[in-house]
Amino acid sequence: MNSAAQVLHARGQPAWSAHAALACAMLATGVLALLAGAVDISIKSLFHDADAVLQRMILLEIRAPRVVLAACTGAGLAVAGAALQGLFRNPLAEPSLIGVSSGAALGAISVIVLGASLPILQPLASYSLPIAAVAGACLVTLFLYGFSLRYGQFGIVTILLVGIAVNALAAVGIGIFQYLANDAALRTLTFWMMGSFGRASWDTLIPAVSLMAVSMLPLFALTRSLDLLQLGESEAFHLGIDVRQVKRCVIICSAATVGAGVALAGIVGFVGLVVPHLIRLVLGAGHRYVIPASALLGAILTMLADLLARTLFAPAEIPVSLITSALGAPFFLWLIARARPR
Amino acid sequence: MLFAAAGSVQAICEPVFDSSRIAVAGGSITEILYLLGAEERIVAVDTTSTYPATARALPSVGYVRALSTEGLLSMRPTLVLGEEDMGPPEVLAQLERIGLPMVAIDEEHTAEGIMRKIRCVARILGLSQKADALILDTLAPLTVELDRARGRAGWQPLAVLILDARSGTLVAAGKETSGQAFLRMIGARNLFSDISGWKPVSPETILSARPDFVIFSRPGADITASEASSFAFAGGTNVVAVDTVETLGFGPRTIKAALDLLVKLQGRAQPDE
Repeated sequence: MNSAAQVLHARGQPAWSAHAALACAMLATGVLALLAGAVDISIKSLFHDADAVLQRMILLEIRAPRVVLAACTGAGLAVAGAALQGLFRNPLAEPSLIGVSSGAALGAISVIVLGASLPILQPLASYSLPIAAVAGACLVTLFLYGFSLRYGQFGIVTILLVGIAVNALAAVGIGIFQYLANDAALRTLTFWMMGSFGRASWDTLIPAVSLMAVSMLPLFALTRSLDLLQLGESEAFHLGIDVRQVKRCVIICSAATVGAGVALAGIVGFVGLVVPHLIRLVLGAGHRYVIPASALLGAILTMLADLLARTLFAPAEIPVSLITSALGAPFFLWLIARARPR
Repeated sequence: MLFAAAGSVQAICEPVFDSSRIAVAGGSITEILYLLGAEERIVAVDTTSTYPATARALPSVGYVRALSTEGLLSMRPTLVLGEEDMGPPEVLAQLERIGLPMVAIDEEHTAEGIMRKIRCVARILGLSQKADALILDTLAPLTVELDRARGRAGWQPLAVLILDARSGTLVAAGKETSGQAFLRMIGARNLFSDISGWKPVSPETILSARPDFVIFSRPGADITASEASSFAFAGGTNVVAVDTVETLGFGPRTIKAALDLLVKLQGRAQPDE
């Protein structure tokens, strides 16, 4: 699938218009997500009605941070997915499938549970949680990479099997923390694991989004290196790519992006798998198109999933990962069916 | 003055300015509102509010620990009344910023604690007289009766409280759980008072310890014949079932439920033991 000719095949004009269309669609989705929700908000009443104060508060304090978090997490997961797929030269590398999200979750859960018993950690929670999540994600990604260095190139099946093993290991760690957790922490954990953007607020959002932005930017700059990596590592090296440097950068940056998202939103599955694939189907495999377009489409799909999560059963909410996984898992099956030699 | 108090989670039982539209997060508080005849003020409940049955028809804002900010606000409540464990904290912080008055009612797992909870809710809603009369007429006499039955000479059976075991795993109440507190209400010693929280336990541990009672706590209090006989061969072990919400909810019905169970168990216990 990733033949050199296809990778290096440039599609100049359609790509630009596709990016422009995606950007417009993202803005439209953002506006829709801001205006729709359990509380009716109409643009007209925002300025006139007596209720306007409350409506404006809901819009600015509840919905806006939530939409921004959904968009950033979606963009981050999709970009990290695209970059990891490029790095592992494997189209099924996805943050939650190969265990990067679980690693982040394990880090974050350790803070939730230990933080409940160590009151000293409480005031630091808004920082210690993202840091632990990023550390967990980094650890898993480095492990995956080390494993692939030692045991050679990952085939499609191998990476999924290793992902199962890593997820199982993370599940053990999470299980231990669940066993240690008190009743309240346990129920918090259960819902935290299922993912939600409802916990967003500006003060926790700003550090996390800054981290996501800082760690996502290098991935945008590495698109050419990722393209050349598809030819093979020694070929990329001879074409002047510092392979080692590129790999280190991709691992740390995608882990930090995923970790920051998981820290605030919990595990949101399949975005990192589905989005880059959809983009490749339309724009081809060149990373200079896949990465920016994935960011846009990831933001769109995640904002839509969150919109469904909070409106389908209003006034109650369902975990957003139920929606992304319900859409993503069948897509994943379809990919497997398609990849099988007939 | 009003605005200084508004918009933060209070844990004090002081009357609020406007309790005309209440969103409830917690089954026992819903029960208390019905008890006080204030049910028409409820605009939304959480998923743990399953009693009385009519409460289930009210709009749901999710599980008590996974409330939805906007869902709550869409019901236009003037007050959020919740158990002390309502959450998540991020949602409470969002509601706080909006300026919605919220009260988390203190929870204490005793008969006295239940009556305090009722008085607290009543005071917040300005229904103290009604609550005092209700307590004086029904709950206080029940508590006296419960204390008397519990104090019967030689009554300190060993018991296990198992939470809804339909999945096949026996999850037992350890220390610092509502389950252990309920066992204390009926004067029983908890076999698992050494473990903390709700933990899965092995049936062998229960069989070898030969407790006097194994109490299954599950919605509807139904129990199958095989479950009822499951611990019979341990000799002298009685298996009973109680309704989860009624017993572990620590709402208005819990004192009566404890008394009923206590009377039933004392009837079953061997006199010579």
